[in-house]
Amino acid sequence: MAMAVPGSEYFSSRPVSPEQIYASLPQSLPVHTVTQEQIDALDPLTYEVVRHRLWSVTEEMGEALKQMSGSPIVTDANDFDFAICDEAGQEVQVGLYNTMLVGAVDLAVYWTLQHRAVNPGIREGDMFLCNDPWVGGGLHQNDVIVFQPVFIEGKLFAWTSAVCHEPDLGGPGLGSFNPGAQDVFAESLPTPPVKVVRDFELQEDVADLWVRRSRVPMLVGLDLRAKVGSNTVGRRRLLEVVEQYGADTVKAVMKRMMNDAEARMRAKLAGLPDGSWRATGYQDQSHEGDRNLHKITVLMTKAGDHLTLDFTGTDPQAGMINCTYAGMRGGAMLALLPILAHDIPWSAGGLMRCFDLVSEEGTLNNATYPAAVSRAPIGPAWLTGQLIAECLSQMLDQSVDLGASVQAACCGTWDTAIIAGLDQRGPVPVPFLNVFMEPMAGGFGARPTTDGMDTGGLLCIPMGRVPDVEMTEFLYPLLVLWRREEPDSGGPGAHRGGVSASMAMSLYGSHVPAGLVFASAGKAVAQNTGLSGGYPGNTGLEVIARGADVAAMLAAGTIPQAMSDLGVELELENCYQSSYLAPGEVLYMHWQGGGGYGDPCRRDPASVAADVREGKVTVTAARDVYGVVLVDGSVDASATRHRRDEILAARQARSTVPDGTASVDGGAPLDRSAARRLDDNLFVVDSAHAVGCTHCGRRLADLRTDTRLQLAVYEGPSSDAGPQVTSAPETYVDADVVFRQLCCPGCWTAVYSSVVPREHEDHIADVTRFAVAAQG
Amino acid sequence: MTFVIGVDVGGTFTDAVLDDDTGQMISAKVPSTPANYADGVVDALAALATQLDIGLDALLAGTHHIAHGTTSSLNALVTGNVPPVGFLTTRGHQDSIFIMNVEGRYLGSSPHELQAVLGQTKRHALLSKRHVVEVTERMDRDGNVVVALDEDSVRAAVGSLIAAGVRSIAVSLLWSFRNPAHEQRIREIVAEIDADVFVALSSEVSPRIREFARHATTIMSAQVAPGLRSYLSDLEARLQAHGLAGPVLVMQSNGGAVAAHRAHISAMSTIGSVLTGGLVGAGRLGRQLGHRNIISTDVGGTTFLVGLIVDGEPVRRSTTVINHHPINVPSLHVEAIGSGGGAIAWIDAGGNLHVGPRSAGADPGPACYGQGGAEPTNTDANLVLGILPTSGLLGGRKQLDLEAARAAIKAKVADPLGLSVEDAASAIYAIQNAQTADLLRKTVVESGYDPRNFVVYAFGGAGPAYCAAYAAEVGAGEVVIPLGPVASAFSAYGLVSSDVVLTAEMSDPGFMPVDPARAAANFDQLEVQVRAALDDQGLTYKSVEIARSVDMRYTAQLAEIEVDVPGGPVDADAMTRLAADFEKRYAELYGEGTGFSAAGVQAITFRVRATGVLPFSPEFPRLPQAGTHDPAKALKGTRKVCLDVRVGYVDTAVYDYEGLRAGHQIVGPAVIEVPTTTVVVPAGMTGTVDALGNLSILTKES
Repeated sequence: MAMAVPGSEYFSSRPVSPEQIYASLPQSLPVHTVTQEQIDALDPLTYEVVRHRLWSVTEEMGEALKQMSGSPIVTDANDFDFAICDEAGQEVQVGLYNTMLVGAVDLAVYWTLQHRAVNPGIREGDMFLCNDPWVGGGLHQNDVIVFQPVFIEGKLFAWTSAVCHEPDLGGPGLGSFNPGAQDVFAESLPTPPVKVVRDFELQEDVADLWVRRSRVPMLVGLDLRAKVGSNTVGRRRLLEVVEQYGADTVKAVMKRMMNDAEARMRAKLAGLPDGSWRATGYQDQSHEGDRNLHKITVLMTKAGDHLTLDFTGTDPQAGMINCTYAGMRGGAMLALLPILAHDIPWSAGGLMRCFDLVSEEGTLNNATYPAAVSRAPIGPAWLTGQLIAECLSQMLDQSVDLGASVQAACCGTWDTAIIAGLDQRGPVPVPFLNVFMEPMAGGFGARPTTDGMDTGGLLCIPMGRVPDVEMTEFLYPLLVLWRREEPDSGGPGAHRGGVSASMAMSLYGSHVPAGLVFASAGKAVAQNTGLSGGYPGNTGLEVIARGADVAAMLAAGTIPQAMSDLGVELELENCYQSSYLAPGEVLYMHWQGGGGYGDPCRRDPASVAADVREGKVTVTAARDVYGVVLVDGSVDASATRHRRDEILAARQARSTVPDGTASVDGGAPLDRSAARRLDDNLFVVDSAHAVGCTHCGRRLADLRTDTRLQLAVYEGPSSDAGPQVTSAPETYVDADVVFRQLCCPGCWTAVYSSVVPREHEDHIADVTRFAVAAQG
Repeated sequence: MTFVIGVDVGGTFTDAVLDDDTGQMISAKVPSTPANYADGVVDALAALATQLDIGLDALLAGTHHIAHGTTSSLNALVTGNVPPVGFLTTRGHQDSIFIMNVEGRYLGSSPHELQAVLGQTKRHALLSKRHVVEVTERMDRDGNVVVALDEDSVRAAVGSLIAAGVRSIAVSLLWSFRNPAHEQRIREIVAEIDADVFVALSSEVSPRIREFARHATTIMSAQVAPGLRSYLSDLEARLQAHGLAGPVLVMQSNGGAVAAHRAHISAMSTIGSVLTGGLVGAGRLGRQLGHRNIISTDVGGTTFLVGLIVDGEPVRRSTTVINHHPINVPSLHVEAIGSGGGAIAWIDAGGNLHVGPRSAGADPGPACYGQGGAEPTNTDANLVLGILPTSGLLGGRKQLDLEAARAAIKAKVADPLGLSVEDAASAIYAIQNAQTADLLRKTVVESGYDPRNFVVYAFGGAGPAYCAAYAAEVGAGEVVIPLGPVASAFSAYGLVSSDVVLTAEMSDPGFMPVDPARAAANFDQLEVQVRAALDDQGLTYKSVEIARSVDMRYTAQLAEIEVDVPGGPVDADAMTRLAADFEKRYAELYGEGTGFSAAGVQAITFRVRATGVLPFSPEFPRLPQAGTHDPAKALKGTRKVCLDVRVGYVDTAVYDYEGLRAGHQIVGPAVIEVPTTTVVVPAGMTGTVDALGNLSILTKES
């Protein structure tokens, strides 16, 4: 790891209260604000009318940005967002696109208020540009924010902002992903807030300085203007609202929107049992050449109407798989917004008051300068969000009402691949660079009552999309051999995880090798974990058919439909790797599906048969993983019963029953009349201090004496999880990675199934979480 | 005497309007007949004949043509009541229609639904995977054959689909719009196997780049075209049996009609036919009134539709969303922006009052209908405020229950907020007006225009109670409420006044400046195509108008902007002008300085629209002049009405529309009762009955 850089802490932005902001500002920058009395005095009618109008203004900003951007990452993947903040930078209203950006936008405004107010000053007609993830505004250097102070009668009234992912901002790696980076100096240069618009005029010198660093300066130039345009729309519309309703009223509404969101979130939290839940996950490899696993762990404590997210114990920053504080916060938003706030307006400034982040500096998701952070949103921040989601799901699964928001992990990373080469289809060869957007089609996690959505997308980008094959082939010299849903890629479970898709392509109209960069994760360990015994979804996989001659096959009338059709050695790509694709060779990418919920042996056999018919599950997996035997596509009921008995017997035969099990396994099944649900498999009887198995009633722990649930344990090769484990862990990492399954020793229902390093601690069996819950 | 008749089949009512080309216009309204919508059409025609004191056969013998708007195809798609179809596509790409570019999860969802990601699904797949079969073939982006069509794979695929009971097959191959040879050969092979199987080719239905939307459009076309064809041929045969001399035309979403016997070829273009009738009518009335810029608002029980007319031409778009799928249909841009009279008022968990988007619909309907509805709606609020009479609409046929309305508002809104029932009703009315205005403003502004330069037209049962307020809120100076003899059937009036419009388009993506010869060849080919199609309609036109356009964008932008190409030679100068016009329109939409030509401009899709102008121009008949401004003769009385929470209930004049004559002026606050609607003239505004019987309200004090 590179040495810390003295002075760099100046650029580390942290949340700052409005009072601290006001106190720090010079007299030359008066702000407009309102008193609590003015907020309280709002009548409900005015509030609702102005609130709706502000929503409409934000929507217009976003629509303008989306229509104007020329980056496929924005137009196709919708990797962008926008927000209106109050005078102190608190987010009043945010867009529904990349929700991780919500955790970063306000940080950039706080920092600017603290460090730009005197020199060069914050004035009407200014816009600032920033891509420094320590300052905020985005999670990595490719996230570029343009934000604007809005003044009313000389007072700073509010901020508008627009942020989107740029395809390339320089640095040694294609697309600004340098898989070998071990510090930020090997990546794109972070730029702290700089005035790109002054007195309403785009500063050509700054704009030139900005686009000069990129391999695609024209796209970056168009996007810069798109962001300026979006802010202009936002300012104009905001001023119209103020003109009609008055500055004080509009500001009071803005403050109350945040207060209202906060109050609703607190009310929701207060209605849930108190408790602590822990989740731990891994990124495999940190940069090119690394063969280690890197851990992020979170302890979520819910007390009263407040959440604390404590990341203590997370591994030190490493390679390029780090994120700044903005990334950790963005990861939290990725989980909290859809799971806890789907029915609360996203006035994020208020929602963020409901949780605290606790973390050690210099760790994977709170990295200090000069850590390499280009993987931030799609690696560590994403994993942070997945882990918080896992804790939230355990918390919510206790409630039948809120169980609708419980979901096993979705696709666990953004499978990054960037290709750059020469397009020789036209009269003049031109260079091309494409960040593949297809991995947007990940699978969603399964839920207690329903399957995960197949190729549903990514949870962090609610409105993401994948490009049409024809647009890809029009823009780039590529031929897409297939793009399809992959059977068995959804995590098996009583409710199945959503399947993911794969794509295979070759160069077409380019006669020289193209450069490739890979940056991914989840190839050795599962990042798309299941819940309540559900299995993880597929591991990621990138393969190149080295030395293949696909052109000859096509000329002969054959369109290859599997990598094995190509008749050459297949080269597995590391998570982080620079590589190349030569003419005739085929690149195959398979990103992640979602995790399952519940034991697959408890899935309705008719649903398994339907999955086989619709190509979501193979006949083999139906038999081996789900224990469902099909004859001519229909369920053979007696063979299925027999097969499932075999699977349960095999679990019994291969598992170890821990010492002390005898203390709880005797006696009659627990009386469930006073039972409280924990999830589909477990219940607790507070009066009896007991946790039991929902399916057979067996007592699994006495909360007065046991520290762990008395579950049978099996550890075996990761391939035991099923066909969704697509390659061997030792290809990528040195750690001992296993399939671990915990079962009820009474009925052999799976309570936990995952692919983890052998030293992974099982939080599922830790009874302290129930003990805390029982006390609450 | 020659008649032109428009028949608009809606979910509840079938409306008909007849114009006799000598200044007389009449209308009729009968219940729709979902079992066979043709029955309702015949009923409506018979009702017109009765008004003219002639028999149905005599009416039809004198009819030049009937223009028909139908929801049957759209209903079939939305309810999934379509026959199983097969889908053939390029090897390796059968899942495109299931992956849905991921966007199929959320397209067409409201903001509330968008925010609740976990509440979304992809269960609306158009077909089952077993009905999708890949064939071996491949084209590249220039239409060159990469892999020849394997005809054996086609025969096997078609055989398996027919064996599975499929009678209609959609074919959509990658890049087929650049080279349709493989698709055409597949159709031949299907015909060899079974000539009765319907085949839809994407290269004909929608020759546009982006396979997901093209696949979806082609599949939906294969789903509805056979049913549409049999419905229309039955209807036409039935009317011919009654002596109909002229053809039956079907309204399309592009704002023009197509001959019924050709409609199945472009089945998807008939999908929006009932949405567009009103906008076409607004355009025609606008021409008569001299209005060039119009915001057309059509507010029914459950929907609030808005369309724009700019400089005399309706604003168009090229893509729409049906069942969460993007569909390529050149259409008039009609957007459902919100809710109608049945929208429910509710309190969220934070204690904030909302109106809509959920609607009480027709059943149970608003609480005041007394059909068991317990949720307070806009209609209930209007009743409490005195805007609606307790004698109700439809000429008093539907008695309204004031106590039920009050009880619903009290329980669901007033008590939770600590307001009186009257104040709660007033808040509902104000929120509905403000939110409607927000959505209207957003729609107009996002199309690149300033609502202050527009006149608002308002029709539909629930619109006129609000229109003056929302028009004033967006800054429009004038509202026109069509109240003449066909007011209750305004969409059908639009049908009567429509011409035949056919559109042909093709993608030929390339970088500007496009070779003028290539662009000219594209336009020539498309024009030949639409002119031939116009000839196939079997109609005589007064004239044929050709309009050309290109969809353009900067580099890799998602959305293209349609840019008109004026008549005249397509040469290098025309290409230069085209690029400049694109940049100008871009700046109008997104602001000066947002464009960046250095990023490169692309032309994607070429389009030609041909209008066969029919020899009729129906106009609203004139109303007798009152001779005075004073409408006292039409005054029904006064009642307490609350239009503004700050003012409260005031004695408000109530007028009977039947007694109003041209030139009468109504000073607000006032309420005008029309058999099918209620018009509010707020305080400080004045309404004038114009020579055609429309009410024109100026929203600003002059």
